[in-house]
Amino acid sequence: MSTTPRVSSAITGEPPHFGSVLAHQPEIAERFFALYGAFWGSDVLSARIKEVARMRNARVTECGFCRQVRFDKAVAEGLGEEVVDDITDGYESSIRLTDVEKAVLKFTDALIHDPELLTNDARAALQRHLAPEQIAELGLGVTLFLALAKALITMGLEPEAMDRTVLPTPAPLDQAA
Amino acid sequence: MSGAVATALAGRPELAERYAAFRDAARGALDPALFVLVQQTIAAVHGSGDAPDESGLDAATRTCLAYARRMPFEHTAITDAEAAAVIAALGEPGYVAFSVVAALADAECRAGMVDLPGLVVG
Repeated sequence: MSTTPRVSSAITGEPPHFGSVLAHQPEIAERFFALYGAFWGSDVLSARIKEVARMRNARVTECGFCRQVRFDKAVAEGLGEEVVDDITDGYESSIRLTDVEKAVLKFTDALIHDPELLTNDARAALQRHLAPEQIAELGLGVTLFLALAKALITMGLEPEAMDRTVLPTPAPLDQAA
Repeated sequence: MSGAVATALAGRPELAERYAAFRDAARGALDPALFVLVQQTIAAVHGSGDAPDESGLDAATRTCLAYARRMPFEHTAITDAEAAAVIAALGEPGYVAFSVVAALADAECRAGMVDLPGLVVG
């Protein structure tokens, strides 16, 4: 896996990072950030549950950048590092993750890794814990997390080293600072 | 717009509209024929449909499709040389669009494989 950017920055004075590289395609960038902000701005599914799925995707896809970033809304909802530490193989036995979060993690693993993990029991658990509109939002989120991580990795935008960083949660464009 | 994610978002029009806009922008940034070939190539890796016949394709397109085939299961193994070859074929803006399209195609296939729409309707 390369940590040398394979694409230049399209923003003068900025190093290559996801935003500056995506700026080579301004329409894609604008619409992606509008979508991502709307997704995180929706409270149909809590930011904590979204972040649990995002953290799992970061680990499975080996996205170091994704893995080191925390969104502040999920942190405020109680997603501490002791919980994040349990989002690893064997999460099923965690005493810190809730049953809802375990069902979400099973779905996430199935979508990003192996669909056979979503057994009838796992499907039933997800549908018992989440309403249809929440499952739709989760499915969108995991799809975007996976695509974003793979695009970032393959374009060589993984950092060589990065400290854990709490960032403002993406917001709808009309609410962004 | 079709696809598992779009179908699953039928009850969430505000997200569905933005998702369609993003996907359309990615699609519009790539040559239409290459877009279809990338979709078919990645779907075939996932066992959904046949891979496109590459016999009549030019070398640059075949290079792009070879790269796309790596996205589902070998994304961390793609080399600098493979990326450079796609950039040589498409240019940097084209490579960025191609990367988004290929990564999204893989994720959408996977959403279909877990029957995301079926999970939403119960």
